[in-house]
Amino acid sequence: MPLDTSTTYPLTRLRLDGRRWNELRLLQAQISTNPASSGSSYLSMGNTAIMCSVHGPAEGRRGEASGAAGSAGAIVEVDVNVAGFASVDRKRKAGGSDKQSSRIATTLRSAFQSHLHTYLYPHSTISIHVSVLSADGSLLAAAINACTLALVDAGIPMPGLLTGCTSGMSGSASTPRDPRNDELDPLLDLSLPEEQELPFLTVGTTTSVPVGENSMENDEEEETKVAVLNMDSKLHCTYIETMLAVGMDGCHQIRELLEGVIKGSSRR
Amino acid sequence: MASSIPSLAIPGQLLGSASTYAAGPGTHIQQANIFASIAGPVILDPSQPKTQNKATLRVTRVLSAAAHSSPAAAGVNDASIKSRPRYNTLPAVDSIVLARVTRVQKRQAAVSILVVLDETNALNADLAKAASDNDNIASILTSAANPENHSSTDELRFQALIRREDVRAVEKDRVVMDEMFRVGDIVRGSVISLGDQSFYYLTVARNDLGVVMARSEGGNMMFPVSWKEMRDPVTGAGEQRKVARPY
Repeated sequence: MPLDTSTTYPLTRLRLDGRRWNELRLLQAQISTNPASSGSSYLSMGNTAIMCSVHGPAEGRRGEASGAAGSAGAIVEVDVNVAGFASVDRKRKAGGSDKQSSRIATTLRSAFQSHLHTYLYPHSTISIHVSVLSADGSLLAAAINACTLALVDAGIPMPGLLTGCTSGMSGSASTPRDPRNDELDPLLDLSLPEEQELPFLTVGTTTSVPVGENSMENDEEEETKVAVLNMDSKLHCTYIETMLAVGMDGCHQIRELLEGVIKGSSRR
Repeated sequence: MASSIPSLAIPGQLLGSASTYAAGPGTHIQQANIFASIAGPVILDPSQPKTQNKATLRVTRVLSAAAHSSPAAAGVNDASIKSRPRYNTLPAVDSIVLARVTRVQKRQAAVSILVVLDETNALNADLAKAASDNDNIASILTSAANPENHSSTDELRFQALIRREDVRAVEKDRVVMDEMFRVGDIVRGSVISLGDQSFYYLTVARNDLGVVMARSEGGNMMFPVSWKEMRDPVTGAGEQRKVARPY
């Protein structure tokens, strides 16, 4: 195949969709898209489009066998649904969730369960519903961002915005890295064709953003915490650090974009 | 220092130092700094010399409406007092409620909450001004006091329990619930806990809390004569109640 990232990228330094290695795809988002839910959002990163709605915190179900956990704080439930028309070939599911969506749901659940201030809502449930309308790579990262926006819209307290991003390497990267002859570039925000042939990882970070004059006074507040780290592909361990740094930088860029979305919608 | 407070906060945004301000709702403290937990306008409650010595920072959730009416950060400091919510549909901890007794058992009395009273106008100060659930407080109480209305509306209201140990502050173990309440009494109580899924918990263990309206066995409205007795004006017979101190 001529349009192959691993063959054309070393020549052009441009990726399949014309981006450079450190460029994000176009990110557009709205919040309060669904008035029937407590909070909702629509987010698109390139051709990946996700709708998310949050219900709750509501009273937990009585039958749930979550005695000790439920009394300490709210329980986060995540339901991910990848639409049949989301990818190139239409899938007709026999109902229920496939492996990919249930993995995303588990990751989201554990990420937000520990991230949100759930202790403020004992005996209650926060249910998040994620609908993938169009899947073009970085699904988990886009879902994290959409969930964050919807949870902010729902007014659920959290220590900071949790944002996600993917990063990969522009080759198979199966041999140890040679510092003198480093022909592989890290890539930011992978699309689906890139995900299918290149190793990549998903990173989600949160931080407390310093703002205004205070940021001048104490720079040490800028501390980023990695909350989510997920990788399914094989890669030589010498490349991990580069990819992680690029991914965290992408998360930082996305955080600024999401802040603009939140500020813009509250001015409206 | 106050100039650095942003008018609009985003979760994780640094609002100020915990040594300068007190953290209110919608904020959390991390490493001696106050951060926003939710998105919304930041409101600075001025310090009240009696209770505390620091101004309280809080973040409200009124996204579009408040930001629209006061676009500049100038309204941050003073807009908060006026825009206190008028509707108080839900009982909260420490709310004063009026409730009707629906069942008296040995260890507890079940009541259904009729009205949650405003904190500002304790009972009847300026009902005309504030549009709230309590606009027709008189009609709520009169309809509730009528025996024929009892069963129909009970399930629709908030249910609450007054436990035996919450009836009075002294001699708690000598309390006999039958001598404190009768079914149909109107009780003023204070919410001590949101309780479980089905019941709030009330206390009447204060002088100003207890039975405020009651009918005798003959069906006549009774008047209080002491903290534990009410009397029927027609027959003159006394009945035992845990009476609230009249205003």
